[in-house]
Parts: sequence; C-alpha cells; structure tokens
Amino acid sequence: MSDDARTDGGTTVKNTTALRERYDALKGEESTVAVVSIIGLLAFPWLFIEAPVVSGFLKGYESLASLILIWAIFAIGFDLLLGYTGLLSFGHAAFWGTAAYASANVSAYLTGSPLVMVLLGTVIAVGLAWLLGYLTLRRGGIYFSILTLAFAQMMFYMSSSVLATYPGSKTPLTNGENGFTGVSLDPLLGMFELNREMPSILGEFVGTWHYGFIAVFTFLAIVIAYRILNSPYGLVFKAIRENEQRTEFVGLNVWRYKLMSFIISGTFAGVAGSLFTIHSQYVPLSSLYWTSSGEVVIMTVLGGAGSLFGPIFGAAVYLWVENIVSGMPNIGAFWHLILGLVFVVVIVLVPDGIWGLPDAVRRAWGYISNLGGDR
Amino acid sequence: MPLLELDDVVKEFGGLVATDHVSLDVNEGEHLSIIGPNGAGKSTLINLVTRMLDVTDGDIRFKGDSIVALEPHEVVQRGIGKSFQTASIFPELTVEENAEIAALAAEHGEFRFNFLKHLRDYTEVSDLAHRTLDAVGLLEKVDRRAADLPYGDKRRLEISIALASEPDLLLMDEPTAGMSPEETQSTVDLIEELKEELGLTIVLVEHDMEIVFSVSDRIAVLNRGEIIAEGTPDEVQGDPDVQEAYLGGVEL
Repeated sequence: MSDDARTDGGTTVKNTTALRERYDALKGEESTVAVVSIIGLLAFPWLFIEAPVVSGFLKGYESLASLILIWAIFAIGFDLLLGYTGLLSFGHAAFWGTAAYASANVSAYLTGSPLVMVLLGTVIAVGLAWLLGYLTLRRGGIYFSILTLAFAQMMFYMSSSVLATYPGSKTPLTNGENGFTGVSLDPLLGMFELNREMPSILGEFVGTWHYGFIAVFTFLAIVIAYRILNSPYGLVFKAIRENEQRTEFVGLNVWRYKLMSFIISGTFAGVAGSLFTIHSQYVPLSSLYWTSSGEVVIMTVLGGAGSLFGPIFGAAVYLWVENIVSGMPNIGAFWHLILGLVFVVVIVLVPDGIWGLPDAVRRAWGYISNLGGDR
Repeated sequence: MPLLELDDVVKEFGGLVATDHVSLDVNEGEHLSIIGPNGAGKSTLINLVTRMLDVTDGDIRFKGDSIVALEPHEVVQRGIGKSFQTASIFPELTVEENAEIAALAAEHGEFRFNFLKHLRDYTEVSDLAHRTLDAVGLLEKVDRRAADLPYGDKRRLEISIALASEPDLLLMDEPTAGMSPEETQSTVDLIEELKEELGLTIVLVEHDMEIVFSVSDRIAVLNRGEIIAEGTPDEVQGDPDVQEAYLGGVEL
C-alpha cells in the first residue's frame, strides 16, 4: 500500500466520523424522533399493504397493521421496565387484559366513545399497576418475576370463574371462557365512523379512522416514552438496572422509582389493552393468560430491550409470523417453530435484538476490514 | 456537638459479636481513620452507619438525630456519603451520567414525580456533576463508558459519585485497595485535597498504614469488635496494646 493511499484512507475516515457525529446528534433530537415516527406511521400501511414488491412479500392487511401498532405500544411500555429498569415482569397480561375488559364494559354499559373507553381502561390499569407493583416490588430478581406471574394468573382464574358476571347478577363482567362480546362502538368524537376511510389522500394511502386513531396513540407512546427516557427518570432507571445498591447509596429512593417504572409500563399496557378492545370488538379470556405476558417479553427482547424503537420491530415480526407465515402453504403449520428459530438466531447472533442489527453488522464489518488492513 | 456519635453500638451476627459496645465520636472537619486487623469489625461499623446493616443494640446519631431507623437513601440525604471498597459504579453509563445520578439526588432529593421534564433543563445537576468530576480529575473523560476506564479511574469515579451526593461526612472504605503505588499516591493527594479545600469530615477505613498515618487527624484502633485505642497518629503508634494486637508486636 502506498503512502498516498494511506492519506486518502485517513481523510475518508475523518469525514465519515464527522458525518456520523452530526447524524448521531440529529438522531438524538426529540423533534427528529417525532418526525420519523409520523412518517413511519403514515407510510407503514402503504408499505405493508400496497407497495410494489415489498407488500407482495409481506402480504399485509390493515387490521394486522393496527394490531402491530397496539402491541408496539404495549412493548414500548414494557421495555421501559425490562430494558431500562432491568425488571422482568411475567404478569403484564394483567394490565393489558384488565384494561381490555374495563373498556369493553365501558362500551357495553356506559358509552361507546372510543376516547372514553381508552381513558377509563387506562385509569383502571394504572390503579391495578400501583397495587400489584406495591405488592410485587418488595422482592427482587426471579422472585419479582414469579410474584407478578402469580398475581396475573390469579386474575386470569378469577376472570374465568367468579368474575364472569357482576357479583349477585347475571350481567357479564368478563363473560368467562366465552370472552366479552357486547362491545359496541360509537363514532370517534361523534363524527368519524372508525371503519370508514379517512378523507382524501390520508384515506388513499393510510386507511381508515380506525388505523389513524391507533396511530395517534402509538405516536404519543413513542414521544412520551422518549421524553421519559430523556428526563431524570431515564437516568435513574438505567442506574437501577446497572447498580441498584449504588443508586440507593447516592440518596435516591429506589423503591419509589421502581414503582413508578412499573406503573408507567402498566399505563402503556392499559392504553394498548383498551385499544385492543376497540380493534377487535371482543375480549378473549386469553388476554389475561400468561401467554400474553410471555408474548410481550418475546417481542421486547426480539426487537431489542433497552432501545426505544426496537420493541416496535419486535412486535411487527412476531405478529407477522403469527398471522402471515402461519397462513403460508407448507410451512404455515410450523409458525411456532419458525418464530422460535428466529428468536434463537437473533438472541445468539445479535443479543441487542433486531434494533441492534445495524450496529452488529458495522462491528463485524469493522472487524473484517481490519483483518485485511493489518496485512 | 460531634457530627457523628456512635453510642454503645452492638452488632451480632447470630452468636458472633461483630462490634461490641463501640462508642466513637466524629467531630466536624476532622479526619478519623479506623484501623484494625481483618475481621475486627471495621467494615461492619461503616455498614451500620450507612444503614446497610441493622444495629442489634445502641444508637447512632448524626447531627444530633438518631439514624438507626432510617432507610439507606435517607441517611445519604441527611449528609452521609459512602465510597465503596470495590468500585461501585454504573458500568454501561458514561462517566458524566455516573456523576449526574448522584448530583440529581443531591440537588433534588430522593424522589421527584415529574417524569416529563427534560434532563437538559436540570443545569444545576450537570454543573455539580462536572465540578466533582473536575475535583477527581476525570473531566476529560466525561463521554467515556465507565466500564472502559482503567481501574484507578474507576476508583476515582467511585469517589466522585460519593462527592456528587454532597455529603457533610464522607465514609471511605479502603479507597486505595487494589491500586498501583502511583494510583495510591494520587488518591492520597486527592483525600488531602478534599480535606483542605472542601473541609469535608472524613472517616477512613484503611489497611495501608502509611496512608493512615499521613492523612489522619485521629485514629481509632478496632480489634475483635472493640476499640482498644484512640488518639493522634503518634499516640496510637506508641500504644503497646496496639502494637501487640494489631501489629503483632513489631516496631513501626
């Protein structure tokens, strides 16, 4: 290698570093995150359903796009607890399911206004998260995980039996194993039928009010989660994850911050659960079952625990395999196995999840090109 | 009134008596070292003050108030900071963030509900963090990941975390353990600096006699959970009980 070539190589590296720094600084801005989220949420249905080539492979449909966003909200909130605070809850189905039942009950007996359903469903989930957090966060590590699982399962069994109807009457509360069927929706703000297309270009490319309604909440979830991570809470959550004892010994009340982390993630689960009722107009008993808790753990880890956008991709991949791959000829029946393999491959090769993939590739590439350069 | 008073403190682990009716006062601005052979109860004493352990009997008062029923973070909020024996840092976070966590606690208390205020609006937190990082000489490395620092720097970071919680009394549990001679020297210089510039009251638990005799105003010697001698470095050095129990009769 000649000297000239070396100098050239050096300058290129320098330029890329400066560019990278500018890119990183821009990437960290809240407004960037907001704009990227809006563009992503607007483009997602088109990419998923109509775009040439891509959609031919993805075979998406609007209802699945909405479902992905709902689970993404759930997973973003869960990631605040798992990826940032370092607490593994196996009982988040309790908040998802309770909010789903609560908003279903609101729609059946009170009002079908989607906004009120989400509001009341979330409020109930927050109250429950406060209670369960208060009871389970006394213990750390595996005991915390088991306690959350135990409480969630307790709620599942109660919902399948004693809470199937309101106490002392025949009015369905959870309607037991049949699931809650009496959901009735009013138009959004009294004007917009959720299953109608949005006007003009929005309807053309994005779709119905239903998707728009859910996308707005997804946008809020991303922006609020990002703000929480940029507030002292983000710092304290990471501190607890890294070294809980030290966090206590600098004078921070670890217990209250952990409880807040739990409640915040319960809030996100509550919003998502309420939206799920609006989405499916039916609440199955399985929404309280431990598999729902497990699904959100898998989505979060698959997408990348400890990143803001990772869980969204985790939710997308999980639900895509569950709904699209399962319908493919020949391999469809093996979708559980496929999902398991994808999960194992991601965890082994890219421990940071799908979101960590570009970084992992860059590291691997740097390693390979260094090997060449040294010779 | 002494800043910290230990009053007949007893700590038993099952049948083992770790500290046996220890009474000790620490005065404001003073630099007290606690020495003693392994298992003498030095670290136990520190852990009792920081509330990592519960006292079996006796009372510990700080600024005149009993602290034996408080949570560890409340003790820190009252003004007792601790630097750990092993570098207890936040490895995946940057050096700056490490100090900011403690500065946040010092400036805004044990808990704040507002989870939507951006961290960049807390300028006093990052100012305090930068001041303490400057004091330990880590200001040039604010953006480094704490886990990537060399060991001596990790210990300095550990001390800067303890400083950023703005203590009136700093408990240091073997701050030079595992350091190279150069790193030890710079840590000793740092301790001297803290003493002179910040007027901090320091309680030091240390094995290294050279350090103890060079930086202490007063020394307490602990053996089998009891204080067997207490006084200025010269007094302690000449005490025959100390030489017998701790130094095995060897002349210093």
